[in-house]
Amino acid sequence: MENFASLLHGFGVALTTYHVMLMMIGVLLGILVGVLPGLGAPNGVSLLLPLTFTMDPVAAIILLTSMYWGALFGGSTTSILFNIPGEPSSVATTFDGYPMARQGQATQALTLAFLSAGFGALVGVILITVLSTWVAKFALRFSSPEYFAVYFLAFASFIGLGAASPFKTVVSMGLGFAFAAVGMDTVSGGLRLTYGFNELLSGISFLIAVIGLFGIGELMLTMEEGLRFDGIRARVKIRDVFKTIATLPRYWVTLLRSAAVGCWMGVTPGGPTAASFMSYGLAKRLSRRKEGFGQGEPEGVVAPETADHAAGSSAILPMLALGVPGSATAAVMMGGLMIWGLNPGPMLFVERPDFVWGLIASMYLGNIVAVLMVLATIPLFASILRIPFAIIGPVIVVVCFIGAYTVAGRPFDLWLALAFGVVGYLFKKLDYPIAPLVLAMVLGDKAEDAFRQSMIMSRGSLSIFWSNGLVTTLMLIGLALAFGPLLSSALGRLMKPKASSAVA
Amino acid sequence: MISRYTAEIGTATLTAGLGLAAVVGALEFGIGWGDAGPEPGAFPFYIGLLVVATSLGTLIQATVGRHGLQSVFLHKEEAKRVASFFLPMLAFVVVARLLGLYVATALYLAVVMWVQGKYRLVISVASGIAAAIIFYFALEVAFQVPLLKGPLEAALGLY
Repeated sequence: MENFASLLHGFGVALTTYHVMLMMIGVLLGILVGVLPGLGAPNGVSLLLPLTFTMDPVAAIILLTSMYWGALFGGSTTSILFNIPGEPSSVATTFDGYPMARQGQATQALTLAFLSAGFGALVGVILITVLSTWVAKFALRFSSPEYFAVYFLAFASFIGLGAASPFKTVVSMGLGFAFAAVGMDTVSGGLRLTYGFNELLSGISFLIAVIGLFGIGELMLTMEEGLRFDGIRARVKIRDVFKTIATLPRYWVTLLRSAAVGCWMGVTPGGPTAASFMSYGLAKRLSRRKEGFGQGEPEGVVAPETADHAAGSSAILPMLALGVPGSATAAVMMGGLMIWGLNPGPMLFVERPDFVWGLIASMYLGNIVAVLMVLATIPLFASILRIPFAIIGPVIVVVCFIGAYTVAGRPFDLWLALAFGVVGYLFKKLDYPIAPLVLAMVLGDKAEDAFRQSMIMSRGSLSIFWSNGLVTTLMLIGLALAFGPLLSSALGRLMKPKASSAVA
Repeated sequence: MISRYTAEIGTATLTAGLGLAAVVGALEFGIGWGDAGPEPGAFPFYIGLLVVATSLGTLIQATVGRHGLQSVFLHKEEAKRVASFFLPMLAFVVVARLLGLYVATALYLAVVMWVQGKYRLVISVASGIAAAIIFYFALEVAFQVPLLKGPLEAALGLY
């Protein structure tokens, strides 16, 4: 098996003392941003990214992906101990994790969460190992129209699969594209949409948007709700850890089902948040102990955690093989790849196999490192949340703005970050999805290039998107994803008039 | 007190305005067919139109479903909390532009801890200065990333 040989080569790349050290640092930083409210995986990675510009790309991506794993684990910890999800994707973990912790089973809940998360991540990485070369080879046949169709598909699935109003999803996505268009036009090299402001000449960085939308916006929301940490003191007891490990095989059906849901949602841009909710919902519906859910049912911890991490890791697959990230954090990392001068997509497998397989191998190692470290350091990180928010909150604010400044060293970015913070606050309160905006900002130039090159190929006729089997199929799936749910709900309303007056 | 309806209308108007700005800005660069395919303004133009159209969709949806949106968007109490967080942050950005990020960090942390955290003045000021120094060593020394500096750093000869 060709992939297996490449993977072994990858382990050779990833398994150096320096890289393992970076993994540990990354995981620790990740747990930290995962535990702190207002700092999540996407903007943790955004804040760290400018510091990696001078590093070797392999080392840099190992640091960033490890931070991602750490942040996912950190988010689950606060869900269980404090009933405060550190990450949107760990909201579903609070439903049963917190009740478990209140009943004195904090160690069990944490161990189950970490182990099932590790299992989910492992399934995701195995999926990447098996499928990536195949997907990349397939994608080598793509030219501009097919690429545009893939981007279309990615954005269409946000409209169809997202829980938010389709109008709001499109607004958020469109604004992302508009922000990405500011500054230099990549095709003609000319400037546009600068409205005479010198500050806009070099464009709006997606990193600033992420720091504002996810970081500052989230903090404003946390402050509004009047944050109070009502934590449960947890000491991880080694004996309980081993006892819980022994119970894990009991949940094999849930584990496998949730991993499958997670992988699917990660590869399509549904993302970890949708995956964890869907998996929790499925587990509840299919469980024999339905009444236990919401009151500390272990299965209710296993299901969302497995799906969350399976989605988080499998989101790397489309990013690497197609250049279409499956989650907001993957979008930020892909932006990083482009800044380091790498071009995500099928050619990356041909040009930089050491990078690709080093990264995939590091995902196996990174997750093992993450599970071990998170079990060892949880009491320490849980105590961070006992520091009053009057100190932690402003420190996070300072870190966000310093991070915004280090992106490009432009004072104007401080204002931009603040503006994006206000927008993020409004969007979150009004249920506008934010991930499409970030994805559109990262993919904006690439999508536009693909579109314009297609137009040049066809001399301005849109029919090029129906010109061969491959591109037609992709467009049709995209259209079905975007309009399918709308049509089915409209049909449902026609069948049963007056049945529901709910406004989505 | 602001109702959810008002907030929906306000935000949708804001996004429609941004979309309109993209449309107007794009017109300047040509939205038709040039020598090298579509002109630079074409893509932003249609994206802008899409944003305007979907913002209008949200506006219509909010107006039609107005009765379901009478819930409270922001209480007085919540507004106070948000303002007490936002205003110091705004001041932080203004001060950072004038005096540099390090001085702004020290001042911001000290003031917020002292006024809102009810810590003693000495502890607050010491923590602010300590944080600024830690950031200085972490960024300028360890990672060699320069931050925005102001007159104080110039006077101390730190570049």
